Amino acid sequence: MAVFAVFQTTFLLALLSWRTYQSEALSEPLPLTPESLKVSINSTQQCLHLQWSVHSLAYHQELKMVFQIEISRFNTSNVIWVENYSTTVKWKQVLHWSWESELPLECATHFVRIRSMVDDARIPEPRSWSSWSSWEEVDEQNSLGHGTLFVFPKDKLVEEGSNVTICSISRSYQNNVSCLLEGVQMRGEQLDPNVSAFHLNNVPFIRETGTNIFCTTGRGDGTGTVLFVSKVLEEPRDFSCETPDFKTLHCTWDPGRDTGLPKRQPSQSYTLFESFSGKKILCEHKNWCNWHIAQDSQEMYNFTLTTENYLRKRGVNILFNLTHRVRPMTPFNVVFKNISDTNATMTWQVHSIGNYSTLFCQIELHGEGKVIQQHNVSIKVNGNYLLSELEPDTQYMAQVRCGDANHFWKWSEWIGKNFSTLEAAPSEAPDVWRNVKSEPGYQTVTLFWKPLSKSHANEKILFYNVVIENLDEPSKLQLHSIPAPANGTKLTLDQCSYQIHVTANNSVGTSPASVIVVSGDTGNKEVEEERVNVTEDGFSMSWKPQPGDVTGYVVEWCDHPRDLPCDLQWEKLGPNTTSTVISSDAFTPGVRYNFRIYGISTKRIAYLLEQKTGYSQELAPSDNPQVVMSNLTSHSFTLSWKDYSTESQPGFIRGYHVYLKSKEGQCHPGFEKAILPDDSVSCKYKIYNPEQKTFVVENLQPESFYEFFVTPYTSVGEGPLDAFTKVTTPDEHSHLLIRIILPTVFCVLLIMIICYLNSQWMKEKCYPDIPDPYKSSVLSLIKSKENPRLTIMSVKDCIPDAIEVINKPEGSKIQFLGSRNSLTDTEITQPAYLYLLPTEKNSSGPGPCICFENFTYNQAASNSGCCGHVPVPLEAPSQLGLLTSPENLLKVLENMNSLGEIPAGETTLNYVSQLVLPLSRDKDSLPTDPPVPALCSEYKMQMAIPLGLASPPPNEKSSVSSVTLLDQGEPHH
Amino acid sequence: QVIPPFSAPGLVLGLLFLSTAATGSCSGKYQGLLEQLRSQADYMQDTSRLLDPYIHIQGLDTSGLKEHCKERPGVFPSEDALWRLSRWDFLQILNATLGQVLHRLTTFQQDLPQFKDLGMVMLYIRGFQSNIHCMCQLLGSSSEAAKPTQASPAPPLPTLASDAFQRKLEGCRFLSGYHHFMHSVAQVLREWGKSPRRVRRHSPRQALQKGAHGTHLFSRGRRLAPSGQLPW
Repeated sequence: MAVFAVFQTTFLLALLSWRTYQSEALSEPLPLTPESLKVSINSTQQCLHLQWSVHSLAYHQELKMVFQIEISRFNTSNVIWVENYSTTVKWKQVLHWSWESELPLECATHFVRIRSMVDDARIPEPRSWSSWSSWEEVDEQNSLGHGTLFVFPKDKLVEEGSNVTICSISRSYQNNVSCLLEGVQMRGEQLDPNVSAFHLNNVPFIRETGTNIFCTTGRGDGTGTVLFVSKVLEEPRDFSCETPDFKTLHCTWDPGRDTGLPKRQPSQSYTLFESFSGKKILCEHKNWCNWHIAQDSQEMYNFTLTTENYLRKRGVNILFNLTHRVRPMTPFNVVFKNISDTNATMTWQVHSIGNYSTLFCQIELHGEGKVIQQHNVSIKVNGNYLLSELEPDTQYMAQVRCGDANHFWKWSEWIGKNFSTLEAAPSEAPDVWRNVKSEPGYQTVTLFWKPLSKSHANEKILFYNVVIENLDEPSKLQLHSIPAPANGTKLTLDQCSYQIHVTANNSVGTSPASVIVVSGDTGNKEVEEERVNVTEDGFSMSWKPQPGDVTGYVVEWCDHPRDLPCDLQWEKLGPNTTSTVISSDAFTPGVRYNFRIYGISTKRIAYLLEQKTGYSQELAPSDNPQVVMSNLTSHSFTLSWKDYSTESQPGFIRGYHVYLKSKEGQCHPGFEKAILPDDSVSCKYKIYNPEQKTFVVENLQPESFYEFFVTPYTSVGEGPLDAFTKVTTPDEHSHLLIRIILPTVFCVLLIMIICYLNSQWMKEKCYPDIPDPYKSSVLSLIKSKENPRLTIMSVKDCIPDAIEVINKPEGSKIQFLGSRNSLTDTEITQPAYLYLLPTEKNSSGPGPCICFENFTYNQAASNSGCCGHVPVPLEAPSQLGLLTSPENLLKVLENMNSLGEIPAGETTLNYVSQLVLPLSRDKDSLPTDPPVPALCSEYKMQMAIPLGLASPPPNEKSSVSSVTLLDQGEPHH
Repeated sequence: QVIPPFSAPGLVLGLLFLSTAATGSCSGKYQGLLEQLRSQADYMQDTSRLLDPYIHIQGLDTSGLKEHCKERPGVFPSEDALWRLSRWDFLQILNATLGQVLHRLTTFQQDLPQFKDLGMVMLYIRGFQSNIHCMCQLLGSSSEAAKPTQASPAPPLPTLASDAFQRKLEGCRFLSGYHHFMHSVAQVLREWGKSPRRVRRHSPRQALQKGAHGTHLFSRGRRLAPSGQLPW
């Protein structure tokens, strides 16, 4: 055999040497030239397939050769591709080579030629290329058919992001082709008079039905093609396999996006290959696959998951030990046994994963949606666990899952079930506090308690029992049953000491009792109020530890101190606690909260230890005090606001600011300049004592204008800016004037009053009133004893018969009313009595006359002819206009009548006259010359005249003598 | 009178048609049945049922492509031809054409799984065919129905193009023609309502073609609006 090989090599070398020599000598190509070159087209893949052979090889000869392939487009001189293809050539072997064209092969004529060269180490150099084969032409345009416009490639499938070349072939004379990609024109490249190419780079995925490319020549014709762009195939993620029972391996993965295109490319496929066993399965599902485990087969597995589509293939690999990939099946048959109010036993079963396998199970107890207990337990087949520390009458959900205890891989699925614990009596005493108000003879105790939490109530609380035990008389017990959901009750007790037991009751039983003691004597001493510190967490307070036995402390406050009820709150603290932080959602900025700290004695009596007050957040004052100004002098005035309450302010009042404005603009000593919120400038005086509620503004200028304003301030700021009060100081002497004038006026008034009183006295003494004859005692005496016929004459009984004319200096006018005749001046020229007694002819009056002296006589009126019946000279001045006419005069008379209740007209003689007589004459003449008859009496009369008609009083010289007719009524004064 | 395709009434109507076809029981009232057919034809001429979704799914709603989505003449019977048919022949042609439409829609259903409303439309077409069947039964007893005519059957549908782009355009043109055809059907059925016993065979339009032997069912069609209700 070796001899044969040596012989063959020798022969081959001899042959090659001979051919080389021959070619050099004859310039002929080597005989190993490729022959029988055939070129075909795969339009779908845009590939040129070449096949050829090398005939000159000897029998069973193998020789390494290099083939150089040249591809030209449109014409042979336009070489677009040159490639050397190396391979080992066998005797009679048909060689293949493919080339994928970027340009669709239908759009251009391609030419292919090939040559070869021996590239075998057994052949010594130099080596040379063979001669080229003849050009093979590939032209698909002849088979296009009868269209005028063609677009290629047809239905090409590419991956997203690829570069694609589209070409169009136009058979019309004018190659004016425009192509649109999804309606957007593409820029083309003219490859040939009839061929255009359009290069698309990084093509996107648009839709599953493909990207539309439409070309037209603009003459109504058009055609197109669809470019199917597939999404890039992704590598499967999270590939893993596990077994629940050592019988089946369940492999899962995340397939990523689907690359399927309807009618063009199906969705990517998945195959599972196991290298140890060499088995391979095609997965039916895109994200999971089941692998059957043979009995007593291998322990190690090496899986390769491969996914592929038309364009790409990808794979992932995992290697694992089967026993480390056990995920037990979900436990089953979960049951709760021996359920009590606080305990329950949970049992479950698991599917076996082997004879000696142990499972590790996890139990979770859920209450109100939260995990409240978590336990782990190892089991074989059946599991159970005692759930304890449960709340009575509560619904729970317990669930369990298991994993392989030996090589934990993954938990099984959870399986759970609900159960409820049994009911129980309330487990804790209610938190009770009290408010005691002592009144004379009794005390009002208001009990408050907080509702029990659900965990302590154990069931719905139905009622609260309050037992009141009189410690002074233990036999006296009271029981009050208060239905839920009441949170307190009010008790009226006498001044004895009482021990109060409060219990909460549900349908099962009674809670432990909460006991407090109230004593008739609270013994609470006056405790000074302190301010409490405020932190971010709330009111921070501390107190001094109490000597002696203290069972605890209670901090009490109101959530809404401005309301009634104030929503009393309390916090009970242990005996060793001397500080706490009180917080509440109800705390509001600007509200003052008072805290009382009580100590609880061993006798359960609460006694007040400390009082604290504070704000959760201080605010600036919301209002300003009502300021009263007093003691205004030319140099000072006093301001006071004593009614201003500092307790009800939204912060601790730290003092006051007194603002003062003056025209001078200069600030007085103690004041400082300040700019107000309205940018005005004022002088400010700071009062640092909140209890100082008066202020004297001094050093003012007389007769000057000032404005002042008082506002409180807290740690946050001062009150709102209100209007300034204006004040003007008086001059310096005004106060002196006031001091003099006022007493003087007072003295004058006093003197006037004294004088008035004295005048009354003087009148009484000097000018007494005329006595009333009807009230005379003499009259009664006469009536009863001596002469019964004697009586006081009645005026109505008088018949005037004459008028005594005493004097007539200006002329009188007398009207004789009875006869309705008037007497003129010429007729009566001398003083005389006119007898008015009826004559035989004209007597119509019935009685005698009476003469009166009228002090109200008015000479002027007389002069002006007030009677109206007497002619009055026109030139006579009238001082009493209202009496100048008869009507007015009658009115006056009517008034008189009305005053004297004398009806006018009932006497025949209504009016006599009124004459002016000299006083001396009057005095003298009347008594001396009485106008007989004897029955006539003379009176002096004071006539009442309406105030508006009053005339100046007659002077002393004028005497008034009036004669008038009075009715039968009483005389008037 | 277009019934919303997938609204509750439309669904009930479709199921009603199906029920009729399934049970084989037909309403004996001519007017009621005619009203059903008319409503159904009105519903099917609406391009928003088929053509518009198809154009959108295939990406043909771009400038340059919309204009090429024209009905190809000869695929569906023209309106003039329908007017010339007797009622019996009209119903037969209508039934046969709808059968071909169903066949093509089945192809669409395979090619376009994302065209989810297609199944419901096909259900409606089957219901429509059921009503045609009932109307044929009603007309079968009348003298007019017995008159034979020379109506030619619906021609076979053209074979599908090899490349995807042409198939897209052909599908678009087919659906355009279908909606146009159903518009013509609705017009004819509306005429039936006006004169129950008269067929409009001698309108001035058809008079021009009088004398010709047979009825040319598949003449040049009119362009169909690409979307919305047809203009006539």
